[in-house]
Amino acid sequence: MKKVLCIVFGCGLLLGTAVRVEAGDPTAEEIVRKANRIAYYQGKDGRARVEMTVTDAQGRARQRVMSILRLDIGDDAEQKYYVYFHRPTDVKGMAYIVWKHPGLDDDRWLYLPALDLVRRIAASDKRSSFAGTNFLYEDISGRGLALDTHELAGGDDKTYEIKNTPKDKGTVEFSYYVTRINKDSFVPVMAEYYDKNGKLYRRMEAVETKEIQGYLTITKMKATDLNASSSTIAIFDNVEYDIGLEEDVFSERYLRKPPFQWIKD
Amino acid sequence: MIWAAAGAALIGVFAPGLRAEPLRWHGFFEYAFGGRWVEDQTKHDRYNMLEQRLQLKTDYFFSGGDILGRWKSQFVFKGDFLVDEYFGGKTDFALREANMVMSPADFMDVRVGRQVLTWGTGDYLFINDAFPKDYVSFYIGRDDEYLKKPSDALRFSFYTDAANADFVLITHAEPNTLPDGQRLSFFDSFQRGVAGTNSDRMLVEPGWQAENFEYALRFFRNFGSNEGALYVFRGFDKSPRSYLNEAARELFYERQDIFGASIRGPFAGGIGNVEFGYVHSPQDDHGDNRLIENSMLKAMAGYEKDLGGDLKIGFQYYYEQKLDYEGYTEALLPLDYFWDEYRHLLTNRITKFFKNQTVAVSLFTFFSPSDLDGYFRGYVSYDMTDQWKLTWGVNIPWGGDTHTEFAQMRRDKNVYVRVRYSF
Repeated sequence: MKKVLCIVFGCGLLLGTAVRVEAGDPTAEEIVRKANRIAYYQGKDGRARVEMTVTDAQGRARQRVMSILRLDIGDDAEQKYYVYFHRPTDVKGMAYIVWKHPGLDDDRWLYLPALDLVRRIAASDKRSSFAGTNFLYEDISGRGLALDTHELAGGDDKTYEIKNTPKDKGTVEFSYYVTRINKDSFVPVMAEYYDKNGKLYRRMEAVETKEIQGYLTITKMKATDLNASSSTIAIFDNVEYDIGLEEDVFSERYLRKPPFQWIKD
Repeated sequence: MIWAAAGAALIGVFAPGLRAEPLRWHGFFEYAFGGRWVEDQTKHDRYNMLEQRLQLKTDYFFSGGDILGRWKSQFVFKGDFLVDEYFGGKTDFALREANMVMSPADFMDVRVGRQVLTWGTGDYLFINDAFPKDYVSFYIGRDDEYLKKPSDALRFSFYTDAANADFVLITHAEPNTLPDGQRLSFFDSFQRGVAGTNSDRMLVEPGWQAENFEYALRFFRNFGSNEGALYVFRGFDKSPRSYLNEAARELFYERQDIFGASIRGPFAGGIGNVEFGYVHSPQDDHGDNRLIENSMLKAMAGYEKDLGGDLKIGFQYYYEQKLDYEGYTEALLPLDYFWDEYRHLLTNRITKFFKNQTVAVSLFTFFSPSDLDGYFRGYVSYDMTDQWKLTWGVNIPWGGDTHTEFAQMRRDKNVYVRVRYSF
């Protein structure tokens, strides 16, 4: 299904509200599509300051603070992201841009300010760690709906439970994942990943949601690696939608001259 | 500290409103040691790096209603204090960045002041990036940041729907920092071999005058996911490859014009790049002056792929050719060293992260099948915390000849360690 995750996270920015279910339960595909739409297509653009705290098995904490800008291009799937790192201080000023092309490899550029270097990033593995946290790149830039098959696997009176099975098992480390999606809001509240032996090893949870400008927004998320006993909590603040971002913000120009009017720490 | 205070005072003058929001200073303190195991004639046999460094940086974004605010101006400052035990505890301050960037129009940015300049598509290989570099830092194991030297420059960037352009005016042609026998041994033709502190050549830099300003121009745009660029550079060779006065052992930086192009984009599941440049040597137009560098053709192609599991691998092929080789060889005198017409170079980079990307392993290999020499640089770094970082690495240049690029450095092999605290 979906990018639940991504949704969840990436777009802490974008979560939307209120699609009420009409009579009867919808199909898995419909649930997934609605959750996807809510997660991605509410508001034309958005921004957030994101603070991620990674805690390892020994209890040591690391912090990543960044600003994220997002813009939808065209009707649906295409999106652009701008990420600016505030902390840790040794990467402060580092910025990257993602042009997300659903179904194809994303385009990614990374800017290293100390070298004034704009690097093109080979980004075929979307399931690698994002900035050393327990979130994956795919949690941010999204996982294409068409990459998985989706089936309604149960649920309770508040959530649908959807089992998502990858069509191409060779490209991912999980054998399937189960998402729970709120029946009222269609916001994904949890995703659990099972490895090739059917063992649960990874979990993502929406810990806190708030309504911002009429959009229901996940403002606190947690990703846990159950094997390594490490987890990352992401807190989204300064969330704002429909701020009028222009497409040129997502270009080399603004890697070299960060758009501080949008991303001030 | 005096400089930092001066910098802060300068900002105070620029932006009186700043007092409302104090500048936030960041940076790091670093201890670095690079030991060597091959004896040579440099200042110290046992090591070629022993230093402590304090870097301070700050930036400021002007958001007020005055002109700097309307131009969305940003001020950037970065300076390094160095205690260099290699030279008996000599203290030094290097101003790496002190510049202001402004957007006086929707379609234009201007950056003025000391700044680091980089463009082109190579990985440690440069054709159209003729901006100054520090290869001493590169070979002794300082952070990659120090490979690039700053320039005092004025950079205009124009952005339109059709294409973008950068125009850079560099008021002082800053040469590359190259091995000179003090810290790293190298091939010195006046010593007729690899030299250390016995090297006594003179390098004559271009004078600081308007006719020696350098100009660099880049046109660039995207074609879908592909990036194309055209480059023009008019200035000086940053390495002293030409002889001014043989008897006085004087070398100089000959004039150089570069015309080039590059393209970079998705290719075969990774990122591919191609770049070439025609390097014209206007002081040796016909290539028949044995004392002045020949015109050259340079080209490279690269490919990088993400293999998954935080493992990336990259390859590059680089080619250069002297364009008036016949004229050059005919002009040579009997005892002259001479260089080959062609040079081929292959590189490989492998990068792998472990332990939630806190441990990085990077292996970079240069190998020239035409010179039969090479250079291996590898490091392991460990982010112990968000503040403490430990880096351990090696630099191993090798080869059989005395005067090819890497072989001349073969006595400069070192193992280094750096401990950094960031704040």
